[in-house]
Amino acid sequence: MEELILKLKGEIIEVLNLEDVKPEDILDDAPLFGAGLGLDSIDALELIVLMEKNYGIKLTDPSQGRNIFKSVRILAEYIQANRKK
Amino acid sequence: MPNGIFVTGAGIISAIGNNKQETLSALQEKRSGIAPLHYLKTSHTEFPVGEVKLTNEEMMQLLDIPETDIHIRTSLMGMIAVREALCHCGLDPQSPQNVAEMKGLRIAFISGTTVGGMDKGELYYLDFLDNDTQNDYIATQNCGACTEMIADYFGIFSLVETISTACSSAANAIMLGAQLIRDGRADVVVAGGSECLTKFHLNGFNTLMILDREQCKPFDANRAGLNLGEGAAYIVLESEESARKRNIEPLARLSGCANTCDAFHQTASSSDGEGAYLAMKNALASAGLKPEDIDYINAHGTGTGNNDLSEGIAIERLFGTKTPPVSSTKSFTGHTTSAAGGVEAVISLLALQHNFIPVNLNFSEKMLELNFEPYCCDTKPNRFQKPVRFKHVLSNSFGFGGNETALVFSKVDFKVFKEFKASAVYILDAKQISIQSPLVEDWMNNPLPYNEPYIRAIDPDYKLYFEPNVARRLGKVLKRALLTSRQVMEATNITNPDAIITGTGLGCIENTESFLLALLLEGEEMLKPTHFMQSTHNTIGSLIAIDTRCRGYNSTYSHKGISFESALLDAFMQLKNGQIQTALVGAHDEMTPKYFTILKRIGYLGNAENGFSGETAVSMMLGAEQKEGALCRISGVEALYCKELKESKDLKFLNFLQDRLTQILKKAQCSFDDIDAVMIGNSGESANDQVYADICPTLFPGKKLLRYKHLFGESYTAPGLGVYAAATCLHQQRIPAHLFLDSDEKEQKRVKNILFYNQIENKNHTFVLLSACGE
Repeated sequence: MEELILKLKGEIIEVLNLEDVKPEDILDDAPLFGAGLGLDSIDALELIVLMEKNYGIKLTDPSQGRNIFKSVRILAEYIQANRKK
Repeated sequence: MPNGIFVTGAGIISAIGNNKQETLSALQEKRSGIAPLHYLKTSHTEFPVGEVKLTNEEMMQLLDIPETDIHIRTSLMGMIAVREALCHCGLDPQSPQNVAEMKGLRIAFISGTTVGGMDKGELYYLDFLDNDTQNDYIATQNCGACTEMIADYFGIFSLVETISTACSSAANAIMLGAQLIRDGRADVVVAGGSECLTKFHLNGFNTLMILDREQCKPFDANRAGLNLGEGAAYIVLESEESARKRNIEPLARLSGCANTCDAFHQTASSSDGEGAYLAMKNALASAGLKPEDIDYINAHGTGTGNNDLSEGIAIERLFGTKTPPVSSTKSFTGHTTSAAGGVEAVISLLALQHNFIPVNLNFSEKMLELNFEPYCCDTKPNRFQKPVRFKHVLSNSFGFGGNETALVFSKVDFKVFKEFKASAVYILDAKQISIQSPLVEDWMNNPLPYNEPYIRAIDPDYKLYFEPNVARRLGKVLKRALLTSRQVMEATNITNPDAIITGTGLGCIENTESFLLALLLEGEEMLKPTHFMQSTHNTIGSLIAIDTRCRGYNSTYSHKGISFESALLDAFMQLKNGQIQTALVGAHDEMTPKYFTILKRIGYLGNAENGFSGETAVSMMLGAEQKEGALCRISGVEALYCKELKESKDLKFLNFLQDRLTQILKKAQCSFDDIDAVMIGNSGESANDQVYADICPTLFPGKKLLRYKHLFGESYTAPGLGVYAAATCLHQQRIPAHLFLDSDEKEQKRVKNILFYNQIENKNHTFVLLSACGE
């Protein structure tokens, strides 16, 4: 799990082009949206693409993301349980 | 606002019909045109769409165009709708009697599109990059080329412009049309928009996850997104005087219009609907109407969760508990994107003319957040009893970047008069980022040489200016546009300009290209929403508005090499007529290595030795009041279009240009002798330079000629830098030697007036007369 969390942090930084953010800046349990990294609805869509591309998980309703993207840890847990690749 | 502006014709083609009659029947019989995909080739067959029920070949037959001709779907649909509109108002180009009548008329064509020739772009982009087999379609990738294909089919237009503000484009084209008539620049204006479906934007909307897999359900609690549609629709606007003279019975009056920016997000509307609220409120104010005067609202109503909530809240804020009937006819046509403002204007006019309210299809459950429900069925008991008689209709069109436009059409027995005082127009200051030293005052005095054919702008260290969270999404052109805008706002101490008007030839081409290439090379899955949402031309203008919280007028022109002057003309008219006090006008274009090779293929960059491509970013603050440090006054702006007169030595053609120049000077109260120099667009490309060589001796006899592209290279909006250079000369009261076309000329001191003249392919001609501020 810790390995997946670290990998995910790198992927999030890359796909969202988070200049100047290092993996260690993202706390495992901190919220990704709103106060945390300050991400918005388009970032959520990018994360949905990331999940499909890298883990074979397809979400059809963007509102599902609301619960999954609460923190990197929750995202990692969801991916662990649902990944197809 | 528009004073005595009549609508004298209308034409439409969409999923529900190929003309007004078919459209009317479908609306009255509640027949939706949304159906499974049939004409567009895409793997996303799960999405129903509103397609025009004709193939390109069938449209070409209807239009009598040879099958072998270069064509794009957006232009074909546009031609069909424009033809209907022209015939309606008694200006049928096929009728000899009508043609005689047209001789004395100045007829303009203003079209909105964003997709342009993308239907071919997505077929041939890899060919554009690799070989010469599809070069004919390269030029059609510019929105302006798409507009000109429509214009040239008729050959009657003397002013042609393209607006590209995503889904509000056609409504903004109609607004500009009204302005041109008001300003006395045209007698008749055909305005609206056209947009065909493409794989590009179907996939783009899919990345945003806002496409409904069923028929869309606007204003329904269970709405699940929009259905894309396609179509074209245009209305004919005419001054009261012209309509009376031609003895044409008007359909309606365009009694009010307004455009604002939500200044909130590139793809989402604000939760309080502030931009939409202001657009509707300002449109009513310009019509001199109160909310209770409105009898029907044709809503933007896309069917997405976000739009319908935001728009609904805005409607309630303005209309309170007395909401008039509201419906979204996108449940019939699908969302025709850039054409939507035209399609829905024509539908609103049909409603007004035939006294009926188009229903909102597929509605079953009221939204909890709103107090009203859409007008959906006139058979069940309803507070809107038939027969409906109404006078005023409001039509909303909103676009990406929060570009919000509201139009009010009224029956002709209604009149408003409002006079504006004439004002002078000044360029208060400007900032540029190009191959010349960026953001400094003395860039013109110490020009930097270059000899690369593809020259990149010199970018400052953006980290000094932007927070990482802002910068991370911005491509080159966005960073440059935003920084020059912020700096010119700071320099002039104008933090909230009344209008933000942008010219761009290619918009965010880097994003557009990334999205297109991913689509072509990797397929129609897992595409990046960030690339799509920043692929519309008005991304630039809305980004500036979002960054600065400017909710005023926001428009974007994308018409080939006159995109900047088109933006300038709009700002000039509004400032001169006292409608606004300040305007931020921008000229912004970036280049990519791939697009460079494509343009090179069609000789846009000229021959190998002299051709060079630049990047442009210049932001100017214009004001109606002279401030200390103002660069110059703008005494006149004019844009002309001539299709027929191809030979630049043709005497008739030269007389036409000369005549228009005389009028501009007369209006500006400037004599020809008082012009110190004429700045022209020599670029080293032989065909381009030859036109100037042919025209200048006759048009500007004895005048010294100046150049500017040696400083910046060629780009669609290079004229923005040219005007900045000329303005700087007037401000500094000196023309440096290197600006003269004749290398023997020495620096000139004392400058009163510089005339800027630009031509594109000898079809588009623009003049900007700049004068020293004086004491």
